[in-house]
Amino acid sequence: MSAVRTPSSRARAAGPARGSGGPLRRRGLRLGEPGTAWVFLTPAIVLLAGMLLYPIIYTVWVSLSDFDLSTFQPGDWVGLKNYETVINDPGFLESLKVTGIYLVIALPVQLVLGFAIAFLLNVEWRGRGVLRALFLIPMVVAPVVAGGVWRMLLDPLWGVVNYALGLVGVGPVEWIGDPTLAMVSLIVIDSWRWTPFVVLVASAGIMALPSDVYEAAKSDGASRWQTLRHVTVPLLVPVIAAAFIVRWLGAVKMFDIALAATKGGPGQATDVVNLYIYEKGFRGLEFGSASSMATIVLVITMIITYFLFRLSRYLENRW
Amino acid sequence: MRRYLRLAATAAVFSLTVTACGSSGGDDAPAADGGGLGTAQNPVAIRVLANDAFAKQWQDQLVPEFTKKYPNIKVTVDGVPYNDQLAKSMLELTGPTATYDVVLGDDPWMPQLAKTGGLVDLKTDLAKFTDASYEWDDINSAALAAGEWDGHQYGVPVRSNLLLMFYNRSLYKKAKVDEPTAETTWEQYFTDAAKLVQDTTGDGKTDSWAVGTYFTKDPLTPTIWQTVLNSDGGKLLDENLKVQFDNETGVKALQTQVDMLKYAPPGAATYQFNEPLEAFRQGKVATMFMWGSVYKGTAIDTATTTLKEDEVGVTTLPAGSAGPGAHRGIWTAGVAKKSTHQAAAWTFLQWMTSKEGEQWVGANLGTFPARDSTLNGTPPTPWLKPVYDAISAGYDAIAKGQMWRPRLPESDAVQQILALQTSRAVSGQATAQEAIHQAATDISALLKSKGYPQ
Amino acid sequence: MVSSGRLGRAAAIGGAILATLVFLFPVIYMVGISFKLPRDIFTVPPRWFSELTFDNYTSYFHQARILPRMVNTVIVAAGSAIVSMVAGAMAGYALTRMRMRGAGVMAGVILASRAVPPIALVVPMFLVARRLGLTDQYITVILAYVTFLVPYVVWLMRAFFRSLPKELEEAAMLDGCGRFGAFFRIIVPCSLPGLISTMIYCIILAWEELLFALILTNDKAVTIPVAIAGIAADTENGGLWGPLAAVGVLTVLPVVIFALVVQKYLVKGLADGATKG
Repeated sequence: MSAVRTPSSRARAAGPARGSGGPLRRRGLRLGEPGTAWVFLTPAIVLLAGMLLYPIIYTVWVSLSDFDLSTFQPGDWVGLKNYETVINDPGFLESLKVTGIYLVIALPVQLVLGFAIAFLLNVEWRGRGVLRALFLIPMVVAPVVAGGVWRMLLDPLWGVVNYALGLVGVGPVEWIGDPTLAMVSLIVIDSWRWTPFVVLVASAGIMALPSDVYEAAKSDGASRWQTLRHVTVPLLVPVIAAAFIVRWLGAVKMFDIALAATKGGPGQATDVVNLYIYEKGFRGLEFGSASSMATIVLVITMIITYFLFRLSRYLENRW
Repeated sequence: MRRYLRLAATAAVFSLTVTACGSSGGDDAPAADGGGLGTAQNPVAIRVLANDAFAKQWQDQLVPEFTKKYPNIKVTVDGVPYNDQLAKSMLELTGPTATYDVVLGDDPWMPQLAKTGGLVDLKTDLAKFTDASYEWDDINSAALAAGEWDGHQYGVPVRSNLLLMFYNRSLYKKAKVDEPTAETTWEQYFTDAAKLVQDTTGDGKTDSWAVGTYFTKDPLTPTIWQTVLNSDGGKLLDENLKVQFDNETGVKALQTQVDMLKYAPPGAATYQFNEPLEAFRQGKVATMFMWGSVYKGTAIDTATTTLKEDEVGVTTLPAGSAGPGAHRGIWTAGVAKKSTHQAAAWTFLQWMTSKEGEQWVGANLGTFPARDSTLNGTPPTPWLKPVYDAISAGYDAIAKGQMWRPRLPESDAVQQILALQTSRAVSGQATAQEAIHQAATDISALLKSKGYPQ
Repeated sequence: MVSSGRLGRAAAIGGAILATLVFLFPVIYMVGISFKLPRDIFTVPPRWFSELTFDNYTSYFHQARILPRMVNTVIVAAGSAIVSMVAGAMAGYALTRMRMRGAGVMAGVILASRAVPPIALVVPMFLVARRLGLTDQYITVILAYVTFLVPYVVWLMRAFFRSLPKELEEAAMLDGCGRFGAFFRIIVPCSLPGLISTMIYCIILAWEELLFALILTNDKAVTIPVAIAGIAADTENGGLWGPLAAVGVLTVLPVVIFALVVQKYLVKGLADGATKG
């Protein structure tokens, strides 16, 4: 087997596997007959279908009926009435907008920051393992504790952040009280929490890179920047794409940290859609509208995920 | 092979779906003796679904005391975090069999819980298990009303609480302002508030403010202006549940809360339960509108507060045109209809809320009483005296002005709408008038969609 | 990275330490709170040091039943992570490297199953569990967690498998390994960094999950996040930030220790060695 491969030859070698079906030619190998593929897929499919099918049917069903609080079952069929209510609910539309703003800013920030830190953590020295482990902590702190600690840090009266700003003559800044800054704070807190995930995945991706490629690049006299741009990033595209998509699906469902840090306020400034649905359902007991909203969010998420999925495949194939 | 796997998967999914559907178990009629009170050979076990804040305290202290008297009733108390307790309790009450025999509800929850049809009327359904010496009439009527809905008594008050005004005597003295009394009006309060924003150290920087209370987007935040509204004789909903606050009184009430922010510390717009409390305990605010239950940790317990007992005063909220204000926040407990041990469950609640039980609870757990005889009697410790006085006055105000959150199954949904609009007004995204109008419109639409005439 | 100059290397290490400190600042602050008396937490201006107390660690340790709930959390997190890793990695492999119709669609569907808002899942799941008499049991919580972990595992592992050189399994299969043999003997060991990272992520997600744990458990299977939410929800006596911070610290420790232990498997060169061999 050749020890030195260029990235482009690697990409070509891995190429055929990407086709989504159709007969694939592979060099003289009887690569798994389709039956084996299904055997590999069965545990995941059984688990997902078994656990999700009924809840999804239930949710759609509730969204089309009058919810009966005395049994927690769908009651009379009301057609699209719940959807009408929801579409005309300015609060719901506002929460979708808020979610959009949050996602568009938070996701790229976390991804770029995460990969940058992963590169820094990739330099070999003795403390690297400890730093990598410590970097997991923000993800592990319970949201309600994390939210509370951040509220303390950002408080204008007793908060350390404003105290430090005060020493250089700035502030006090209403980090959570001001509608715009509240969104900034939420993004900061969420990025603090989830950038470590990107670091975790990116580190593994960087580590899995074959070093022979680098030797080849080095012997070709490529600069660090050229190596990064033409070797590392193209090889990392699948991992970057996967990290982005996983983070996207996590971020869409975020509500715990918003609940703990800002309660969605002031007004609706940080009222992300899953928080809105949670409060409608669990606090307001409006399970009919909550289910309609959940269904709408599910459909929107699936559509966007589909495009992201296509985009990631396009990017993977480009390099 | 493959076909069998797929078949198995389908079958698994199907069986899950089928079993999950056809809900609604048999309506097992409870035994005539309500499950009895147990014997030494055959003790009965009951389970209580309570709030995490006090579940463990009950299990460790209250239950052993109860067991001394009723050794054959075994009580287990489970706790749930507040945010999800209502939904969790409703899910539990709607089951075909009862996991829980006793279910607790915060002040506005009894209508929702009762609407599941999962609670019994304690006064009628369980009359046969009620001890002859249990005095219903002695329980303060305003407190008892928290467990009532639609003409039925579904719950009894087990942890009474109400919104009161705390004040820091030292800061009042420093600002040379007279201490507030039950007669102090809101106008007077705001005149004083301007002076209570002060520089106590003389370094030219303001370091002490007038007020701390709820300002964030939270269902409890509007209770402040709801109290102002009630003490001006206004109401959220009229007798027929029509929206009645979209008027000058409503706007003035909300404006009162918005104006408080001017005299509050920086960052107060985000204050929930914790922050105003800490600001007060650190001596940074002169007054605080807060639940009475925080008194011990604010005035007595030196681990949690920097204030001394004689520095902390407590009274009703400033008066409106109809009198002083307060707001009810009482936990009530009811018995599950599907419980097979209703007699034991009700016996537990009766003991806890009896004269004897309330005395014990007040002395050992520090919970406030709901019985007039307890409130007017000698408090278990001297420091409770001013608190009991304030609570008594508060109950009177509450009864007179009906100072509680709406009594209907949609009360939490209503409170959510108020929370949002209050937050918009507090953060300057809307004027008080716009916020009130929007809240009225939204609540009206909500109630209309639920079939109430609007 | 490769070919780091001495200066670049020092700068990168410095940058890594700085980034870690920035990210850990709130955590350090939390540790500080956990040793403070309640009255010293909200001082104006903020104070770093005050009278030290261990009460926060001792007082709620018993009251919130931290130890049994920690055990529950370990069981649930480990169980759901293991099940998800096996099911997810196998599916991810099939979707990356096997010939099948509609692999793309299948991958999309598995991923999209993660798009359902949690609030829509938890009530019906509870109803099913109650119907089957399975509330308050580990298996219910584990299965619920598996549903949201599997799609993540499939996607992450798909990416890691994809970056493995094709020649690996070809060689294995030519050597007479079957599909399963190639997967378990060659692919799994070679993608160890990816597997370990994904597993850590699964454990963390299961470790801090609140909503499902709360609704699906009552007493026996209650996990730490529920206990924490319970302490945080005490709106009767005053915020319990000391105990909250203390429990926060206690819950973080096992995961950090676990991560440190598995670090040694996170070493570079496994895939390298295999391709060269």
